[in-house]
Amino acid sequence: MNGLRAITLILIILLCGLFIYVAEDIPVFGDPNAPPIKSVELLTVKGDQIVSLLDKHIVPENLSEALVKRGFPPPSRVEKIAGIEGEWNAFIAKEEPHYAKEEKYYWIKEEGDRVKVSRYAFVVRWIEKGFEETAVRNMVTYGLADYRGYDTLGEVTVIFTAGVSVILLLRRRSRL
Amino acid sequence: MKEKQGERDVILETVVRVMIPFIQLFALYVIIHGAGGPGGGFQGGVVFASAFILYVIAFNLAGGRERFPESANTILSSLGLYIYAGIGLLAIIFSLGAAQYLNYGFIPFTSHFEENRALSMDFVEMGIGITVIAIIASIFFDLAQKDAEEKEEEEEGSKSWSGSSQKSSQNITTGSSSSS
Repeated sequence: MNGLRAITLILIILLCGLFIYVAEDIPVFGDPNAPPIKSVELLTVKGDQIVSLLDKHIVPENLSEALVKRGFPPPSRVEKIAGIEGEWNAFIAKEEPHYAKEEKYYWIKEEGDRVKVSRYAFVVRWIEKGFEETAVRNMVTYGLADYRGYDTLGEVTVIFTAGVSVILLLRRRSRL
Repeated sequence: MKEKQGERDVILETVVRVMIPFIQLFALYVIIHGAGGPGGGFQGGVVFASAFILYVIAFNLAGGRERFPESANTILSSLGLYIYAGIGLLAIIFSLGAAQYLNYGFIPFTSHFEENRALSMDFVEMGIGITVIAIIASIFFDLAQKDAEEKEEEEEGSKSWSGSSQKSSQNITTGSSSSS
């Protein structure tokens, strides 16, 4: 019985150490100001030849400069959205080693004589890239268990804590 | 609880005996099927635990405890959490510290990065299911046990009270008889 208690204590200490290590290891979350919509408007750029350059799949220099000045990565490739006039998708090259090399990142729209640049929210990657990255068809499951794994680990810990507190409160051998 | 009163409902017991295996099979299907369709560990675990609750309602509490003993309950409730945390730790171990915690793709179940993620997700769902089964059953058994104990105490209390009153009345009668 004492041996079992010692093993349990060691396991608990190991789990606590693991959680402390993990808390240091949590990846940085996204933009805290990003609202839960499809795109976030960033800036508008004015220029004469931007539209013609975008139509030729060339990234205009003043657009890249304006984005870099605000701390966003410059797009590496521009593609016209099929079937819609005056709207483009801008892609950036990603540094992650195991996923697809490019990510749809900016959404450029022509408005009069200027061009409006918006950033796609995380939802777009969730919907469009989920099956490629995880090989699971169910959008809820790869969100719950993979993209938000930390969150689900916390939920299971909450359920476990609830059960342990019910045991502590109700399973008394002798009445107080 | 039924046996105490000496009444046994044959229809209820037969129907429950037939239904419980199907409920448990469906719960396991929901847990395993979580990656491909609607389902997951939380839902399947609750469905599985509901089979124990049905058993206790139809038969008795002690029988339910025999089927799912307290020691197994305690071990299983933490085992699921350890599976989840262990899968996350395997990612760090197999990548020699390069990958983040819970980055499933680096666990070499297969040769494909994406297939590794899918398989690890299945194991994680199983861990969630095991914990939810054990915890829901544990909470239900504890509450039912408490309820049964309180009822027993109430019955004993009323018996002893009535006994003492009878004794006192006997005392009174004996006293009156002795005085007379």
